[in-house]
Amino acid sequence: MSEASGTRQSALIQVEQLTRVFFVGGEEVRALRGISFGVTRGEWVAIIGQSGSGKSTLMNVLGCLDTPTSGRYLLNGKDVSRMDDDDLAVIRNVEIGFIFQTFQLLPRETALANVELPLVYRGVPARERRERAKAALDKVQLTHRMHHRPNELSGGQRQRVAIARALVSEPSMLLADEPTGNLDSATGEEIVRLFEQLHKAGHTLVLVTHEPKLAARCPRAIRLSDGEVVADGPGREVALGTGAGVAAVTGGA
Amino acid sequence: MRAFWDNLRLALGTFLGNPLRSLLTLVGIVIGVATVITMMALIEGLSIKVNRDLGGLGAHTFEVTKWPSGFGRFNWAKYAKRKDLRMEEVRAIQEGCPSVLAATPMDDQGGQKVATSARETRPSVRVVGTEPSYPLTSGVSVASGRFFNETEALDGRPVVVLGLDVADALFPGLDPLGYEVRIQGRPFLVIGVLQKRGSFMGMMSLDNQVSLPMKVFQQLYGKNRSLDIDIQARDGQVFQKAQDEVTHLLRRRRDLTPRDANDFEIHTNESMTASFNQLSKVIALAGVGVCLLSLVVGGIGILNIMLVSVTERTREIGIRKALGAKRRRILGQFATEAILLSLIGGTLGVALGFGLTFLGQWVLLFPMQVPAWAVMLSLVMSCGVGLVFGIYPAARAAKLDPVEAMRSE
Repeated sequence: MSEASGTRQSALIQVEQLTRVFFVGGEEVRALRGISFGVTRGEWVAIIGQSGSGKSTLMNVLGCLDTPTSGRYLLNGKDVSRMDDDDLAVIRNVEIGFIFQTFQLLPRETALANVELPLVYRGVPARERRERAKAALDKVQLTHRMHHRPNELSGGQRQRVAIARALVSEPSMLLADEPTGNLDSATGEEIVRLFEQLHKAGHTLVLVTHEPKLAARCPRAIRLSDGEVVADGPGREVALGTGAGVAAVTGGA
Repeated sequence: MRAFWDNLRLALGTFLGNPLRSLLTLVGIVIGVATVITMMALIEGLSIKVNRDLGGLGAHTFEVTKWPSGFGRFNWAKYAKRKDLRMEEVRAIQEGCPSVLAATPMDDQGGQKVATSARETRPSVRVVGTEPSYPLTSGVSVASGRFFNETEALDGRPVVVLGLDVADALFPGLDPLGYEVRIQGRPFLVIGVLQKRGSFMGMMSLDNQVSLPMKVFQQLYGKNRSLDIDIQARDGQVFQKAQDEVTHLLRRRRDLTPRDANDFEIHTNESMTASFNQLSKVIALAGVGVCLLSLVVGGIGILNIMLVSVTERTREIGIRKALGAKRRRILGQFATEAILLSLIGGTLGVALGFGLTFLGQWVLLFPMQVPAWAVMLSLVMSCGVGLVFGIYPAARAAKLDPVEAMRSE
C-alpha cells in the first residue's frame, strides 16, 4: 500500500509494562510479566518463543482479542488496553488483519464471501464489498477459486484466502499466528514468500511463531520466555541465537 | 438496514442449509397456527351463516316458545313445568293484540318419510304443521303452485307444500304439482313447492321439510304438544309494542303475578344471533388458549434448536467477532434466525389452515371462512414466539469470548 510507506517511521504499536494474569482453578498464572516494545509502520516483526512462553497471550492482546491486566497498549495512537468488547470489535475490524494457524474460515461460505466478511461488519455496501474482495483475492492469485468453499481448497489456498481476508479491509497491521503451522514445507514456503511481498509493499506484519527458521527470515524478532522479553533484535540473530540478542530492548529495530 | 438484510440472508442460508431439521423444529408452531386458523375459520363461517339463517324470520317478526333457545346451561326441569303454548293462545293473540298483523302457530315432527308410489325419501324429513300465514312470518315464498289457504286450513284438507329437497328427491326433473304423496300412510295432494332456503348453520337443511295444515298435523301427530308461535308486527315501529302486548296477554291468561317471571320465551332475530355470538366468543377464547399453548410448545422447539445452533456454530461466532462483529450484530443475527424460523412456521401453519378450511368447506360442507385478522394474529404471534424464545440463545452467542470460541471444534 502506497499510503503506508509515507508514514513509515511513526510508531504503530507501543506496549508498556504489559501484564496479563489468569486465574485457573484458583491459581494465579502470570502469562505476561511486564512486556514493553514498539513496532513502527512497515516493520516485519516475529514474536518467537516456546509454548508456555506467553506468546499466544501476547498475540491475543496485540490482536485486541484480550485486554491486559495492567500496562498500556497504544495501537495507532489509541489506548486500547481499557476498551470494552464492542469498541475492541471496531478496532479489530479497522486496524487488524488476522491470519490464523487454522485459517478460521467460515466453512459454509465461499472464498469470496469469507473475504468480504470484515467489510460486512464495517458496513460497506454489497457491491463495493464484492469488488474489494475480488481485488484482495487477486493479490493472492486466487480469483479463479473465489466461488469455492474452504473444503474444496487446499491448505495453502485456504491460508491465501485468509490472507486476502486480512488484506481486504486495509488494516494498519497484519497479525499472523503460526501461519505455516498447518502447511507442508513447500506450501509454507509459498506463504512466507507472500509475506515477503507484502512486507515489500509496505504492510506492517507481526508474526507469532515457535519456529526459529521462520523467525530468522524476519528483519526483526522478539523472543519471549516465561512472559518476559528476553531478546529483541535482527531476526536471524534472535531466532538462531547467533550474535548478541539484546534483552528487553525497547523501541524500533 | 444493511445489517438487517445481511442477517436475513444468513438466516435464510441456515434454514436452507438444514431444511429437514428446521422443518421438524417447526412442527409445533405449524400445528398450532393451523389449528387456530381452522378453528377461527369455522367460527367465522358459522357466525356469518347463523346471522344469515336467523334472518330467516320474516320482517319485524318475533317468536314465542315454551323452551329457551340458545346455548347456555339450563335448568330443564324448571322449563318442563311450564304450560304448553296452545291454539287457544294463538287465537287470543290474533284477536287481542292490535299491533300484531299475523300470529302463525307451528309444530314440527322430524325424522319422517315422504313417499310416492315410485319413490321414498330418507326418514329425515321435517313435517311442519302450520297455518296460511306461514310464508309471511317465516319470510319464505312459494316457488311454484301456492301455499294452502284459510279454507283448507280450517277444514284440515290433505294438502301439502314441499320443500325443495323433498321435491327433488321424489320428483326428479318433474313438476310435482297435482301429484299425491304419502306421509304416515295418508295421501296428500301437492299444491306448492317452497323456494330454496339453504341450511341452518350448514348442517340442517331447511329445504328438507314439508308443510301441512295444522289440523291435519295434529291428527297425525297429536295435539298435546307445545306450539311455537311466529308473530309479525304491523310494522317496524310497533315491533316492541307488539312484543309487549303479547307478553301482557299471555301473562294475564296464565294468571302470573307481577313477581312471577314469564313462563314462555320471546325470541327475535337479534336475541338468537346474540346468543350464538356469545357461544362463538367462548369457542374463540378457547381457541386462543389452545393456540397459545401450542405456540409455547413450538417456542420451546425454537429455543432448543437455537441453543443447538449456537453451540454448533461457536467457532463461526468466534470468527465473526474476531473480524469485528459487535455483540449487537451477533445478537441480531441469531434473533433474526429465530424469528425467520418461527415466521416460516407461522406461514406454513397459515397455509395448512387454509388447506384444512378448504377441505372442510368442500368435503365436509361446513361453512368456513378464514378471517383476515386470524392470519395477521397468527403471523404476529409466531414472530413474537421467535423473538421471545430466540433471544436467550442469541444473547448467549453474543457474549462468547472470540478466543475461546475460535478454539472450539
